[in-house]
Amino acid sequence: MKIIIALAVVALIVLFFVAQYNRLIRLNVGVDEAWAQIEVQLKRRSDLIPNLVETVKGYAAHEKTTLDAVISARAKATTASTVADVAAADGMMTQALRGLLAVAEAYPDLKASSNFLSLQEELSTTENKVAFARQFYNDNVRSLNTAVKTVPTNLFAGMAKVSVREFYEVEDAQSRQAPNVKF
Amino acid sequence: MQAANRRKTFGLLAGMGLLTGLVVYAALTYFGSSTVGIVPIAVGIALIGVWGSYYGSDKLVITMTGARQIQENDNPKLFGLIQEVCIASGLPVPKVAIVDDPAPNAFATGRNQDHALIAFTTGILDVMDRDELQGVIAHEMSHVANRDTLVSAVAATTAGAIAILSDILTRMMWFGGGRRERDSNSNPLAIALSLLILILAPIAAVLLKSAISRKRESLADATAVAFTRNPAGLRSALEVLAKDSTVVQQRSTSVAHIWIESPLDGTSVSKLFSTHPPIQERIAALRAMESLS
Repeated sequence: MKIIIALAVVALIVLFFVAQYNRLIRLNVGVDEAWAQIEVQLKRRSDLIPNLVETVKGYAAHEKTTLDAVISARAKATTASTVADVAAADGMMTQALRGLLAVAEAYPDLKASSNFLSLQEELSTTENKVAFARQFYNDNVRSLNTAVKTVPTNLFAGMAKVSVREFYEVEDAQSRQAPNVKF
Repeated sequence: MQAANRRKTFGLLAGMGLLTGLVVYAALTYFGSSTVGIVPIAVGIALIGVWGSYYGSDKLVITMTGARQIQENDNPKLFGLIQEVCIASGLPVPKVAIVDDPAPNAFATGRNQDHALIAFTTGILDVMDRDELQGVIAHEMSHVANRDTLVSAVAATTAGAIAILSDILTRMMWFGGGRRERDSNSNPLAIALSLLILILAPIAAVLLKSAISRKRESLADATAVAFTRNPAGLRSALEVLAKDSTVVQQRSTSVAHIWIESPLDGTSVSKLFSTHPPIQERIAALRAMESLS
């Protein structure tokens, strides 16, 4: 009888260990998957750029600075690899695209062209997807980081080779800027 | 908000279980122990009926509502919006269907997230802008995420079993002349109580079922905001639905609970039996979330 109780206790402890370990691994894989989703959506957005630039050029070729900003942002985005770099390139791209769409407002012919309209719709859905992918990634990172830092999962973090991950923070120049107040 | 709604659903489902227990108790005191055999029969009949429709819910509802399934090429804009919400929620992209109906409405069904189906009327696609439609999609995907088809199947099974059980038992009273068992309880108070339970239980079961459905609707609104972080979109979508007086053609009560806006005329059905919370209350709740963010 005593042996059975002892075995049951040991089995329970082992089960507990396994559950903690697996939880950490699952959270870590969740962050990896969320990161992959961000990369997929950023790639999609990059793929839209050449077409967009060509279309805008057809109507507004002299808006060179705006077009160049988009092209250079795209080039930067393709070389980024760490979370911080990708986020920075992403922020630059968002900014450049916003500028390009603002320029397009001034060209009624461009705005009315069917090619531009479908590109605009695709761009806005991709922009939303990028934003939601970021949000989902950060939620996953938050769960993982909480687990890595709290008892009892923190005791297993070393064994599972899981550590705190980096949040995806986009530098948005526009939202950082303090509003101009004139008296 | 979400946690409170979940707790309440759990409480209501527990209430359903308690009600079933009461009915079984009433049957035993009134008819004696020989009626025990009826219980598994009633539960069995309810199980077969409800779980058949639960398992094949995605296909069944398509035929019942006259929806037709579409592919990404048929409406890339709608699919783009759905993919957005799927990325926000981490759910797989569901099957999508269109119901040819000018009344704006939408629903979600399917036994799990891999067999999910969301459907929209042609009306809702016409009247709603991007943000509103995104809110509606997030609400429907929340039903998928919260496994509401399962919750309502459980509620329907217990309500069905209780209805069948008390139906059989009241018939036995009429035809069998009632109490023939020697071992049945002879306390008159217990017998009167049992009769009352048997008569009132089916009504109570329907009330509980409606209450569960209302809680799941509020929960889906809250979960939708957690997905999109944009209460304004869903709020303005609900306002469009509230202003609109047209109602989905097909008015079968059996599928009423799955639409985002109840297709049954709200004024004729009393609040307790309603499958949806009043739309103005839902709008007010979303407004409160807007002021928080």
